[in-house]
Amino acid sequence: MRSLTLWSSKAPIKFRMPTAENLIPIRLDIEVDGQRYKDAFVWNPDDPDSEVINFAKRTVKDLKLPPTFVTQIVQSVQAQLAEFRSFEGQDMHVKEKIVPLKIDLRVNNTVVRDQFLWDVSNFESDPEEFARTLCKDLNIGDPEVGPAIAVAIREQLYEIATQSVSSLREARAGKKGRRGADTFNRPGNSALDLVKYFGSKGSVIRKRKDWYLYEPIVDILSNEEVGALDAREELNAR
Amino acid sequence: MATPPPPTGTLASAAPATPPPPPTGTLASAAPAPPPPPPQSPHTPSTSAVKSEVHAAEAAADSTPIVAAAAAAAAVSYTITIPSCSGWFSWDEIHETERRLLPEFFDGRFSSRNPSVYKYYRDSIIRQFRAQPWRKLTFTEARRGLIGDVGSVRRVFDFLEEWGLINYTPSAKPKERREAAAAKEEEEGETAERKEGPKRLCTNCRSVCGLTCFTTDKADIILCSRCYVRGNYRPGLSNFKRVDNMEELKTEWTDKENLHLLEAIVQYGEEWKKVSEHVGSRSAKDCVVRFIKLPFGEQFLRPIEDGEDNGPNGSYRSNDEVAAEHGGESLKRRRLTPLADASNPIMAQVAFLSGIAGSDLAEASARAAISALHKVHIEKSKFTNDIKLYSKRLLRRHNHSSRRSNKMWRNHYQILLKSR
Repeated sequence: MRSLTLWSSKAPIKFRMPTAENLIPIRLDIEVDGQRYKDAFVWNPDDPDSEVINFAKRTVKDLKLPPTFVTQIVQSVQAQLAEFRSFEGQDMHVKEKIVPLKIDLRVNNTVVRDQFLWDVSNFESDPEEFARTLCKDLNIGDPEVGPAIAVAIREQLYEIATQSVSSLREARAGKKGRRGADTFNRPGNSALDLVKYFGSKGSVIRKRKDWYLYEPIVDILSNEEVGALDAREELNAR
Repeated sequence: MATPPPPTGTLASAAPATPPPPPTGTLASAAPAPPPPPPQSPHTPSTSAVKSEVHAAEAAADSTPIVAAAAAAAAVSYTITIPSCSGWFSWDEIHETERRLLPEFFDGRFSSRNPSVYKYYRDSIIRQFRAQPWRKLTFTEARRGLIGDVGSVRRVFDFLEEWGLINYTPSAKPKERREAAAAKEEEEGETAERKEGPKRLCTNCRSVCGLTCFTTDKADIILCSRCYVRGNYRPGLSNFKRVDNMEELKTEWTDKENLHLLEAIVQYGEEWKKVSEHVGSRSAKDCVVRFIKLPFGEQFLRPIEDGEDNGPNGSYRSNDEVAAEHGGESLKRRRLTPLADASNPIMAQVAFLSGIAGSDLAEASARAAISALHKVHIEKSKFTNDIKLYSKRLLRRHNHSSRRSNKMWRNHYQILLKSR
């Protein structure tokens, strides 16, 4: 059944990250005996499982953490991998969806806030390349900011991909009861109404009054401010 | 030849021949072009090429504010040495070795895993190390500053560490350093280097390989049979060859050993003790025996005394003199020629020798070798014919005798054939 709306619903494909490489974001937040280890990085799910254990051992050794962390790290990574794999066999719809992604993070002394539009149907997209360019253009000195940006982008894309899987599932289930042809043609909450923007009356050039919304902001904090923020986060975590 | 020879006695840390440029105080200054490597100092004849570059200034200008401040504050000058086997490294290019050992960036499967990404990883890691070269750069530190998936970053990091482009600290005496390096590796167990000698470790699970192991040209890793069967290796590897440990270790010379042998002979000449030291796992006697057996071995070194028959030896005595000259020249500008194709040991030796000896000599040697082989073939077939006639005669003579003695003569015939 072909739909004639702007959203060309192509045949569903198997679940994967909508990026050039099928890499997933992994976030770790482990606390053992009062010692806390927080980390976020990008992982290739095609790497063999032995890689997980090697990575955990190496990280624990490099950071001089107590050895109990090894099993914790392995478990956490494997759990996230398993969750990813649980989606893998299923279908997801590739819609032409342009989604605003948000970056709002603090890494060491640098605060980055940004918002931009991302084409979720572009399977050649590369969050890492984007993060590298962003850091270079904004002259961000701290090298740890880049990976954090890449992970943040991937996490949002992952979220969107999993949503499309579940929405497809619902739509299919729904079809049995009633004609659900509308439900998966309606854009998601955050997607842009392309007709409004790129239709006959719209224009691709952003209105001046909206410029401030999409401008990246980079702040360098002083050490005291960082200390204060860290303390507040700790409190919130407890 | 995929892994580098372990850092051996051919290396010595050289004092910088040129005084280092003073580190720039402000970060705003333009990055100076990296100082050209000091020319080979003529008074260290027995060492191979050592590239020492002073990087404090370069690092200060290129790297991030945090790292640069530490570098400028801490060290005025520091000599960075890398092993001679990594002399191919250059900031501006990607070398064949890198392409071969990290094919994932060069096979074009993913548009996001491409040579410029590889260069970004490589350059960032090396710069990060050289900003503080007295301490060991850990993988976690490196990957935290790199935007990319940790698996590929790890592979690049391991590659650089293995080839001594990072975390490489040579000590004064070559033997000490070899021991220190071996001790370090055993202790840390981070690098996945293949241990030479009787034991082989699987690069994946680090267990000792038993009877058989599997290896591939693409990545030069060894897998125990279990890892191979289970597929515990990084994606993108294929064409595994089965290698049987037991026999190969005792009798056959590996590519690496052959290469070491030839290197050592060029370098040390006839001092078999030093040669055997350079080869590592073979005694001096083994080295001599092996060298004699090599196809071009004898011609290479000196004019042959015509003791044994060997057609080609007589025919190019003049070429031997040329060879000696070439050998001398090559000592002066000593470089390790990357082997074109290491899978065939004969071709590997040929490539190595022709690289050192020069094209004229190589051509003459090739022609002479062909004619010699032809002669040998004729002689051999003559010999086997003789054997056949002899044994046929014997059998006929004793045809009437009992079965037992027939068997005896058959055994005799077989022994004769085997001995040839």
